[in-house]
Amino acid sequence: MDPEEVEFLGEKHLVSIVPSFTSESVHLIQGDYGPFRAGLPIRVPLWVAVNLKQQKRCRIQPPEWMDVDTLELIKTDEKLSRVFTKMPSEFYMVEVKQLLGCASDDIPRADEIRTIVKDIWDIRMSKLRSSIDLLVKNHEMYAAVDNLTMMEINSMRPLLPHALDHIYRMKTFQPNVGSQSQTMSFSTHSRVSTSFQS
Amino acid sequence: MPLQTAYYPDYFAVDDILATQDRIPCTFLQDAVKLGKLNPAEEQADLKAGTNIELPLWLVADITTTRQPVVAPSLPKMYKEGNREILKADPCAVDLHKLSTHFYELGLYVKQFDPRESVAEILLQTFTLRLRFVMDLSDNTVSNPSVMQKLDRLERSVFKSGHDAKMKLVSWLKVSEMPLEAASMVVNHKKRKRVDDDLF
Repeated sequence: MDPEEVEFLGEKHLVSIVPSFTSESVHLIQGDYGPFRAGLPIRVPLWVAVNLKQQKRCRIQPPEWMDVDTLELIKTDEKLSRVFTKMPSEFYMVEVKQLLGCASDDIPRADEIRTIVKDIWDIRMSKLRSSIDLLVKNHEMYAAVDNLTMMEINSMRPLLPHALDHIYRMKTFQPNVGSQSQTMSFSTHSRVSTSFQS
Repeated sequence: MPLQTAYYPDYFAVDDILATQDRIPCTFLQDAVKLGKLNPAEEQADLKAGTNIELPLWLVADITTTRQPVVAPSLPKMYKEGNREILKADPCAVDLHKLSTHFYELGLYVKQFDPRESVAEILLQTFTLRLRFVMDLSDNTVSNPSVMQKLDRLERSVFKSGHDAKMKLVSWLKVSEMPLEAASMVVNHKKRKRVDDDLF
């Protein structure tokens, strides 16, 4: 999966906005939102919020956790804990990126938030790599991956199963020898010829 | 049909074909009539039993498993005791590509020539211990193809899948109007990485 696809999923998350216009409710596939009253906060999907903000028709209220002190706390927790701590939002990277991208004037100390979130991300990725290394080195059977967010899983997904495939192959590979090789090569041959026809 | 680059050997897997081209040292057990030209050192028409010669793996695999084996294969030198000790000591320091371009693929085939199965063991151990090294390379390299030089073909494919994901993430982070990045002070602060390593 591409990061863009994860972003797409994350854009369904709700955020609070304060609209500067009045309108009837809108009917979307995801659900109905509205009616919009100027000055009254309302929760809408992230993509709607970004769109309205770009048209300068609303003010975005940042989520509670998007605040320097809270994030500093999360960062310290993450650093001290050996396991992954629970993130305030499943799509924290997407939300931070989208909201800071279009509404940095609505969010106090946006620059600092950006740096802290990147730090948290780096710490978690470094942890993730260490635990993968541990998993592979010790030939563990399974790993508990609580509290990992989708973006983090996604960034490791191509590499880890690929490497595990190779390990599995090294454990099970038997070169086909002797009388077996006749039948084996025959069967591969017939399979190849069918794929030529298609 | 697309070019078959899968690591799982089928008839047309390029990596498999290339790996089985590699030469294996063999000793002839029988006289081979009219095969003298295989041995450039001697001018005779026939190969005598006991001659040592290097033959490609695809040939060796077929003529050693018949009822009367023609040749007795031995391990190529990169899988021998001496090299195994080096690989055991520090797998990450070894230039695997220099040892053999298809270290793992070839190793999977030649492990049958080693009755004590220490080749199979060293392959697995080398791969698992080097994975961290490959993973860190793929994560920290932005655009420098020379880092792959120490990796063999199989590791390169793993490196590439990790590297592609990383590049996608980096470009995703960059497209927004305000790219998410660590402060320049943090990036330039070299001790930071070491502190993190100690923690985990």
